[in-house]
Amino acid sequence: MAVSALTKRSRDFQQLTPAWNVLFNLFAGIFAFLCVFPFLFVAVISFTDEKSLARNGYRLIPEQWSFDAYRYIFKAGDQLLRSYGVTILITVIGTAIGVVSIALFAYAISRKSFKYRNFFAFFAFFTMLFNGGLVPTYIVVTQLLGMKDTLWALILPLAVNAFYIMIMRTFFSTMVPDAIIESGKIDGAGEFGIFFKLVLPLSLPGLATISLFSVLGYWNDWFNALLYIDDPNLVPLQSMLMRIENSMQFILQNAQNASISTGLLQSMPQDTSRMAMVVLATLPIIFAYPFFQRYFVQGLTIGAVKE
Amino acid sequence: MNTTKKRWLPLLAAIMLVSLVLSACGSKESGSGAEGTAEKPVELIWYTIGTPQKDVNAVMEEVSKYTAEKIGVTVKMTMVDWGDYAQKLQVATASGEPIDMMFTSSWAFDYVQNARKGAFMEIDELLPKYGQGIVDALDPAFLEGSKVDGHNYGIPANKELPAQEVWRFNKQLLDKYKLGTEGIYSLDSLEPLLKTIKENEPDVYPLAVDKNQAPYVPYDYVIEKLPMAVSLKDSGLKVVNVLETPEMKAALNTMHKYYKAGYIPTEAASLDSLTDVQATGKWFMDRATSQPFADNLWSASYGYPVVSTPASEALIYNWSVMGSMQAISANSKYPEKAMEFLNLLNTDPVLRNMVDSGIEGTHYEMVGDNVMKNLDNSKNYDMPTFSLGNLFITHLNETDPADKWEGFKTFNDAGVEAPLLGFNFDTSKVTTEIAAVQNVKEEFWAALMTGTVDPEEYLTRANDKFKAAGLDKIIEEAQRQIDEWKASK
Amino acid sequence: MKDIGRNKMMLLMVLPATLWFIFFSYLPMAGMVIAFKEYRYSRDGFLASILESKWVGLQNFKFLFSTNDAYIITRNTVLYNAVFIVLGLALAVLMAIVLSEIVNKRLAKLYQTGMFLPYFLSWVIVGYFAFSFLSVDRGMVNQIFAWLGFDPVSWYTNPAYWPVIIVVVFLWKSVGYNSVVYLAAIMGIDKSLYEAAMIDGANKWQQIRNITIPMLTPLMTILTLLAIGKIFYADFGLFYQVPRDSGSLYPVTNVIDTYVYRGLKTTGEIGMSTAAGLYQSFIGFILVITSNAVVRRFNKDNALF
Repeated sequence: MAVSALTKRSRDFQQLTPAWNVLFNLFAGIFAFLCVFPFLFVAVISFTDEKSLARNGYRLIPEQWSFDAYRYIFKAGDQLLRSYGVTILITVIGTAIGVVSIALFAYAISRKSFKYRNFFAFFAFFTMLFNGGLVPTYIVVTQLLGMKDTLWALILPLAVNAFYIMIMRTFFSTMVPDAIIESGKIDGAGEFGIFFKLVLPLSLPGLATISLFSVLGYWNDWFNALLYIDDPNLVPLQSMLMRIENSMQFILQNAQNASISTGLLQSMPQDTSRMAMVVLATLPIIFAYPFFQRYFVQGLTIGAVKE
Repeated sequence: MNTTKKRWLPLLAAIMLVSLVLSACGSKESGSGAEGTAEKPVELIWYTIGTPQKDVNAVMEEVSKYTAEKIGVTVKMTMVDWGDYAQKLQVATASGEPIDMMFTSSWAFDYVQNARKGAFMEIDELLPKYGQGIVDALDPAFLEGSKVDGHNYGIPANKELPAQEVWRFNKQLLDKYKLGTEGIYSLDSLEPLLKTIKENEPDVYPLAVDKNQAPYVPYDYVIEKLPMAVSLKDSGLKVVNVLETPEMKAALNTMHKYYKAGYIPTEAASLDSLTDVQATGKWFMDRATSQPFADNLWSASYGYPVVSTPASEALIYNWSVMGSMQAISANSKYPEKAMEFLNLLNTDPVLRNMVDSGIEGTHYEMVGDNVMKNLDNSKNYDMPTFSLGNLFITHLNETDPADKWEGFKTFNDAGVEAPLLGFNFDTSKVTTEIAAVQNVKEEFWAALMTGTVDPEEYLTRANDKFKAAGLDKIIEEAQRQIDEWKASK
Repeated sequence: MKDIGRNKMMLLMVLPATLWFIFFSYLPMAGMVIAFKEYRYSRDGFLASILESKWVGLQNFKFLFSTNDAYIITRNTVLYNAVFIVLGLALAVLMAIVLSEIVNKRLAKLYQTGMFLPYFLSWVIVGYFAFSFLSVDRGMVNQIFAWLGFDPVSWYTNPAYWPVIIVVVFLWKSVGYNSVVYLAAIMGIDKSLYEAAMIDGANKWQQIRNITIPMLTPLMTILTLLAIGKIFYADFGLFYQVPRDSGSLYPVTNVIDTYVYRGLKTTGEIGMSTAAGLYQSFIGFILVITSNAVVRRFNKDNALF
């Protein structure tokens, strides 16, 4: 009886007053709407008839609807599916490798007992600022590691990232109380045991965050494929999209060139198709999003009080 | 901090050293001798521009069977899409990627720039030895105009040689208002036509101009779209700031007048392209670079008739000569074989058409002596013909005029050499100034050239800024090089 | 003895990422030497190219400082980034707190997903939308202006509006992504802290001020330090695609990255682009080291290293 009274009262106390709640909802809601709006536009345009788009410009309710853009893309058929497959594969493998390496490194440099923590923190940080540029990296990947035209060239260059390490280290040092680690030691657990059994479960929001960032990093990457992949069977989705996007811009900018203006402009993909490609590239990830989101939006705020 | 620093510095140095050594190992491979016969063909790696086609490998297999027999080579072609080509090849050549042949041109993966950097093999000796067929087939201006510091580094495709500016008209509107194109040549001569359209067709752009266009002036630019140029009439080859010439001033004044009259799109200076009005036909006229029978191609691609009339002489510029080239990589293991292949590609109709149209019976079929028809499968092998070598030995399409290539030859023969044909500016002494001047150019060029701003005011401003950025120093250096070049001719 | 053993385990933990850094970061760093060379290709590969290329000292850096534009691009880059750092941080933290406090979690999730969408639009596409809003003849904004009786504005030729437009577009695109970190950090805060505060009679605002914000401070500090390191780098697409590369806007949109891009279009000197990157990194490095030292003085735990 006493417990439930406390729970009830504390929940009221925990929550915002209705007026503030409405205000917060409005604030977040309006901002979210402004973010969704252009995306809605993208979707609508992708279903617009090309001719009516050229006539009227962007319209929320087009004069004439059409599936032509999707028909154009699906003409590529197996290429599209294959690209989806490549993207999903590199995203899953890459995120797994990356998150494990990042979490281990970040945990080590978050521990005060680690003598070289500052050296390694600096070691990682330094790479955020200085890099040798495109050509040396290209040589390491293609000539030294021999990964040209392999999926590894899409996976490894993005696996680790000092920025994520710094975020993760902060999560470890603020969220994991020293007492827990000490208690683990008293129980006779090794460093790895402590890390996997005690520390990781406590850092789920942080892990979810860097996993999400990592997933997005892989999902949106197109540049590595541009550099390292010649085999059309290994081209990921965004790379396919950006390739078309870049080429469209290039051809338009060179429309004065007689050979291009007479030969290429007609076979070029249309405005609606690129919007359709944005839709096709984004939808799957939006569906996967809630999986990560539950770790950092829902939280345990309400339940925790009851215990 | 201090103590850690001391500890990691040597480590870092060691790592860098190792990297240098390791990257050296990767690149050392030895060429070998007794290869390159029909039994033991060598493989040539060929990078070329264009949207990657599904059937490239299948076609190259057929091509390889043919070339293995003829000259003992097989071909592996990699296509890189239009927008990525320059960047990808830049990285690949800079890092010594194994490549034998590659596409290069004045507008994608810049030929002169990369020749100077050492991306291509010099072919002065290979060409007469293994590429005599090319020399015979090409108009001499092609090889003369593509010389960099007196040497050849690439093989131009035999196609239209000069560049001719034309005024293009949307014929529907010409007919509707019974307008004639006689007497149309200069920019000023357009006014009555533009006026008629502006008064009667409020939704139409009378003069469709976007940010990439500049009015034609009778000058030959030292570097395209940077304001140093030589007058076409000046045999003394004096380099001037084109923005200070009377011709350019007059042209810009006219453009500004047209802009104010509403003949030019309000936002011309920030429009990338006008494909949307071209699709809807809401334009009356514009300017374009032409080639023989271009009207037919334009009409076919827009879906309504387009006609054109000359806006300049047909002149042979460096950039028109370098419109499409194939070069041999500086690190090719088989330069002789590559040259033999390019020679065959440019002289042998069987090979040339196979590379261009694919496999007969799969991608196309012959419907006449020299006329072919694309089959359904040609969508899996749709190549940019102009990028792959000699056009004059390719099959005609059903829609092409029978005398297409004769038309091209006539057009080429009529071309006049521009004053700087064969001179290519070496920018290495003035790279700093060029970077600054380029930024000034981008700031003012589109606004001035589209007539958006008043030249009276902006020309002075632009010229002041160009001077501050070091334009005079570049002009001086260019003049010095041109004088030297002239003396050596 | 025990100490070394513990460090051994820790060293094992850092091993995978350390190897990665060596291969993908430190080895390529050798290439920075190109910044001091006139890089020409040798047919014997990259090493030979580097060795055979001519030393040019600091020549490759000169173009960054040669004209008055040097001042404009540096000012623009640094000022925009400073505004991005401050407003970006404030808005991201604010948004994270707002989202975490909204009573209906389902709605909060919905908003949060929505905010993420701009991240998926490339700058090119964002540029198209900006144009559909701001175009003189057909733009939505000018149509609304006409309806309200205002004069149309020529957005792409008038620099006065662009500092605001750039900042708004930046925030619009980045807040959703950046607030995730803070949201996650809020979720990770030990709930007993709030409980204790409640028992002490602290109200919501006091809880936010005294618990949430202090608990987010380490993260805010780290992320700000890292952002300072990138203060000489500008987001190319934001400053190039969104203003449609319009020349009249350069006084407020030209930044180091766009300047370098435009300047090297003709010559394509790798040495000069490497030099530009080295310069940007070097200044950022100095700034981070300095600000890190300042942070250390206040709170050692919040520093980067």
